[in-house]
Amino acid sequence: MIQIQNLIKAYNKEIVLNIPELTIEKGEIFGLVGNNGAGKTTMFNIVLDLITASKGQVISKGINVRESEDWKEFTGSFIDETFLIGYLTAEEYYGFIAGLRRMSKTETSEFLATYTDFFNGEILGKKKFIRDFSKGNQKKVGIVAALMGKPEIVVLDEPFANLDPSSQYKLRKLIKDFAAANGTTFLISDHTLENIADVSTRLIILEKGKIVRDVPKTETTLQEVEAFFKPVVEADAF
Amino acid sequence: MNQNLFSLAWRETVRSAYWGKSIATTIGLGFLALLFTAYFLMLGIFIPKILAESFPNTDPLTKFNSIVLAYFAIDLIIRQLMQKLPTISFKPLLLINIRRPRIAKYLMVRSVFNFFNVLPFFLLVPVTFSLVAGAHSGMATAAWFLSLFILVFSNHFLSIYLKWRFNEAEYGFIILLVALAGLFAINHFGIIDLSGGMGKLLDLILLHPAIFIALTLLPVLLYFLNVRFLLSRMFINMLSAKQKEEKIRDYSWLDRLGENGRFIALELKLIWRNKRPRSLAMMTFLMLFYGLLVYKNQHGQPPPEFIFILGGILLVGMFSISYGQFFPAWHSNYFSMLMCQRLTMKQFLRSFYMMVTVISISCYFLTLPYALMYPKIIYTHLAMLLYNLGVNIPIMFWSGMYSKKRLDLSQSSAMNYQGVSATQWLGALPLMLGPISLFYLFKLVFGTFGAYAALGTLGFIGILFHSLIIDFFSKQYRKQKHQLIKNYKNS
Repeated sequence: MIQIQNLIKAYNKEIVLNIPELTIEKGEIFGLVGNNGAGKTTMFNIVLDLITASKGQVISKGINVRESEDWKEFTGSFIDETFLIGYLTAEEYYGFIAGLRRMSKTETSEFLATYTDFFNGEILGKKKFIRDFSKGNQKKVGIVAALMGKPEIVVLDEPFANLDPSSQYKLRKLIKDFAAANGTTFLISDHTLENIADVSTRLIILEKGKIVRDVPKTETTLQEVEAFFKPVVEADAF
Repeated sequence: MNQNLFSLAWRETVRSAYWGKSIATTIGLGFLALLFTAYFLMLGIFIPKILAESFPNTDPLTKFNSIVLAYFAIDLIIRQLMQKLPTISFKPLLLINIRRPRIAKYLMVRSVFNFFNVLPFFLLVPVTFSLVAGAHSGMATAAWFLSLFILVFSNHFLSIYLKWRFNEAEYGFIILLVALAGLFAINHFGIIDLSGGMGKLLDLILLHPAIFIALTLLPVLLYFLNVRFLLSRMFINMLSAKQKEEKIRDYSWLDRLGENGRFIALELKLIWRNKRPRSLAMMTFLMLFYGLLVYKNQHGQPPPEFIFILGGILLVGMFSISYGQFFPAWHSNYFSMLMCQRLTMKQFLRSFYMMVTVISISCYFLTLPYALMYPKIIYTHLAMLLYNLGVNIPIMFWSGMYSKKRLDLSQSSAMNYQGVSATQWLGALPLMLGPISLFYLFKLVFGTFGAYAALGTLGFIGILFHSLIIDFFSKQYRKQKHQLIKNYKNS
């Protein structure tokens, strides 16, 4: 679905991302973990053609994202709160995105109705602009907007951050269900290893711009990843 | 401790994004400051002469004293519009071992260092020497000068206090204007002679200098009013947005216009719901009355032609110029989202074009009554309307490609230089001076009426080819996309 080839991003000769070869298959829930500055957001931004790579290319469903804008047809994304229009209400925002995604009014309200549980009654029907929402609720608005119009690829940067514990569980299920129902390819990054290990079908650890682990999810994935990030072995903690 | 606070303030000033503004803005502002300083100095030097000539029967100093109040009233309004509140980000200080009163007092002291408090002295010092010192004793002169000094700072503290208040209730400024207008009327129609009263007080101080000590109560009182107000509000919820129900206006009727309608609806919401574009729209409305000023007869002569050109641009095109200058930075806060959506640059540009066209045409009709003053305004404004839509908008599209800074929508636009860069300063020149110089060029060949026709024709050609122009620019903007995203992220 997505091929990354010889991708290098450098700022003033300092290489922040270096991925010689990476293929993400259709229907994969691709989890990206790494410490701050590992290059997760940079990679997503390049996939979305928001920043240009110094070298190499990203081919999304056969389309080079640098050369054509057609990938927008089948890609939904939420990177951070700058993806929201602060002076709109949640409904207006969804209406705006729905228009761009060619969804009718009834389709939109049917679509939104399926997320009533996730919204927890705090998003819709509020006489409040998005800029006045809490961080967590802003995130919910953005995540659901990224799913509009049944995209084939969804890019979410740290979707679990700022969400309350029950919403995190709901989001895990939401992503898995959505992928199962539509065969969607997800690209997700996060710092909470538990969430990302649970939700993804394939895990990648990025460190200083390079892929250092690439494992399909198994029973032991979580321990494996945790071990990677733990600074010291806590053998004699007791 | 105070030293610490001041070094904090110093760093905040030096490192703030405010200075991150371009050199062009700094130069522009510095020039304005110099200009006003020069004005005040000149006025200070020549005011005795002016007063003596205009009011030969009264003592110039008495006359001067009697207009002081009017000066302070105007000063108050200008300060409301232009003076910045003394905000340091006190949020991080709240958790540190500094007592709240100290923070509040510190804020007040810091606020005093302001250009608006220095400016009047360029006028006052020459006046003190030329009008007062010669005729009165040193004691009286000193008392008079100190009284005005005290009044300047009283006005300063009053202004800040009102501004804090108006921050909470936007309509406060209107109330102030109405109140001042009321006082003006009371004064003007001689019901109570307010400015005369103030003048008498100052005259009295010249005779009995000791009275000025009573005046010192005024700034002290206002100072503590401010401190008390600050102490009552110095909690973080003062910083965060007010939690109130918003009145949500429905714009869905615009959906009928299709894709463009959706964007126009977005633009309208942008304008209506954010302070900066909203104050800009207000300015456009006020600008409609600007014609009363510029088109005024000067000694029975109609104003020179360039006034008609400038008037046409400002009255008809104020909105398109002031709004268009920052295109596309109005959408800078969520620009990367737009760039991930299935939307074409063409739609983006076209909806802007449509909106500006509709507003400019409405401004044309709204300003038609000026034709009662000069019938030719019917065609001068029409020529400028066409020119604006056909030539100026493409120029703004062009300068928008090099848009450098993110716009903070939540601040008022008066004297707001956030997000201003060389692009705006340089961009404004061709928009205003371009048609004037073109006019005089055409006038050589076609005569006055012909020159207007030529300007209009130029604009008409631009309008005729607008879809080609939009196509061209949408390609250019696509190329500039990454640069724009980067600029907005880094500013």
